[in-house]
Amino acid sequence: MEISKTGRELQPQYIIDDAPEVKDDDVCIDVNDVSVMFNLSKNSEEGVKEYFINMIKGKVAFNEFWALRNITFKVKKGDSLALIGRNGSGKSTLLKTISGIIKPVRGEITVNGSIAPLIEINGGFDRSLSAKENIFLSGAMHGHTKKYMKRRFDEIIEFAELEKFVNVPVKNFSSGMVSRLGFAIATCVNADIIIADEVLAVGDAKFKQKCENRIAEMLKGGTTILFVSHSTPQVKKICKKAVWLDKGKIVDMGETGEICDKYTEFLKLSKKPTRIRS
Amino acid sequence: MFKKSLNDFMNYFPFLIEVIKRDFKKKYYKSILGVAWSMLSPLLLMVVMSIVFSTAFKRSIPYYPVYWFSGNLIFNFVTTGSQMAMNSMVTNASLLKKMRMPKYFFCISTVTLQFIMVLFSLVTYFAVELIFGVPITFNIIFFFVPLIDVYLFTLGLGMFLCAYGTFLRDLEYLYTIARRMWMYLTPIFYPIDIIPTQFRFLWELNPIYIYLSIFRDLTMNGIMPSERTFIIATLYSVITLILGIVTFKEKEDRFFLYI
Repeated sequence: MEISKTGRELQPQYIIDDAPEVKDDDVCIDVNDVSVMFNLSKNSEEGVKEYFINMIKGKVAFNEFWALRNITFKVKKGDSLALIGRNGSGKSTLLKTISGIIKPVRGEITVNGSIAPLIEINGGFDRSLSAKENIFLSGAMHGHTKKYMKRRFDEIIEFAELEKFVNVPVKNFSSGMVSRLGFAIATCVNADIIIADEVLAVGDAKFKQKCENRIAEMLKGGTTILFVSHSTPQVKKICKKAVWLDKGKIVDMGETGEICDKYTEFLKLSKKPTRIRS
Repeated sequence: MFKKSLNDFMNYFPFLIEVIKRDFKKKYYKSILGVAWSMLSPLLLMVVMSIVFSTAFKRSIPYYPVYWFSGNLIFNFVTTGSQMAMNSMVTNASLLKKMRMPKYFFCISTVTLQFIMVLFSLVTYFAVELIFGVPITFNIIFFFVPLIDVYLFTLGLGMFLCAYGTFLRDLEYLYTIARRMWMYLTPIFYPIDIIPTQFRFLWELNPIYIYLSIFRDLTMNGIMPSERTFIIATLYSVITLILGIVTFKEKEDRFFLYI
């Protein structure tokens, strides 16, 4: 229980004092003191040999890695929240935890509403199935009937600009096509929350514009968006609020403009000592 | 908690159907004969096995091809179904990594797919029975009872193996060997009579043998097995299924690191 003792003490400092009090029925995502730990040594344990070696060594072999530590925040319905931070700061892990793929070691996440995750740029599809079959499979995954998906089908294909490739297996798609399809499906299944992890990084400028318009449209309609991107201008354009993560902890959170500026400042500072000598 | 799981199951049920359909399509992707293979392949094997063994076991087994077919049908379902369920987390990693869903659905879908194949093979099985003129009695209509037991047993075994196989990939290779040993220890192509009487109780511990003997009694021998046999068979299935579910539930939260 020693872990939880050290964790709980740190918790209050990550809650913004001036954050407006939100009503419980307005809260869409409630992340309460969440910590995620990976066991790095156990990660490679895919053979009998390693397994027994670790078993004999016992707990000595454990190499704990806390991907997230005591994350606490709330997202209101219809809000747009950006997660920013450097590579490996735990953004994707947090998104995966919120969408329920990873179970936190400690803490609790309450989500009110359905989630459409767009987490892996090239993943999430059954690659040997065609675009059409994947659309119906994803629809079923979101709990939609075939009838409903048939009605939305043309819309999805049109948005993804894949009219000619309806029956082509996804494995033959280019990465841009896959991300377009993923985005089109996620935004057409009527989910309450959309989780987007760098999905706009692959598409061309025109498609990016189209996606941004779609996101703005959905925000107006009351959809909640969680957004991860390394492009600060894009984050500023899309999101109202931002959470800055570093090494699995919340550094700061608040209005997007302010947080992004702080983050950019931080990046400039941290670049200096690591500059390569020419 | 039970109510929540049930709710989850009902909510995602259309998804399960969609996954089974997908697996079915994928299995015979670009094959001309398609599902006819699951009717043909046991037939072809049956011919070879009958040529090799029917003279050897002529005295104790009157309808050797039918005897072998039934044995192969049940045994193959149990082992192939459980092995595929064991790998189901890895094969469906791309979907599992995408969003939250009941993970055991992929065990159900793989075992169900295999079960559908068994149903197709059954058509051939009954045809073979008619061709060889096996005396069929009224009892044959209960053939589905052992099949349901076998289905639950395979699902339980598959979930149990999956709970460990996802972490320890060696289990897959180990199970391939175990499968072969299990095959020789099950009276599929030989009659139970060749086992010395003092060791026969060991054979009767083998769940597949129990299912097989019920199935053969009903469909080949035209006998209604004793109630005791039915109870033992069902107990085997239910206990295995509970064991599978409990182990799976315990381990499933850690799967995401290994797929």
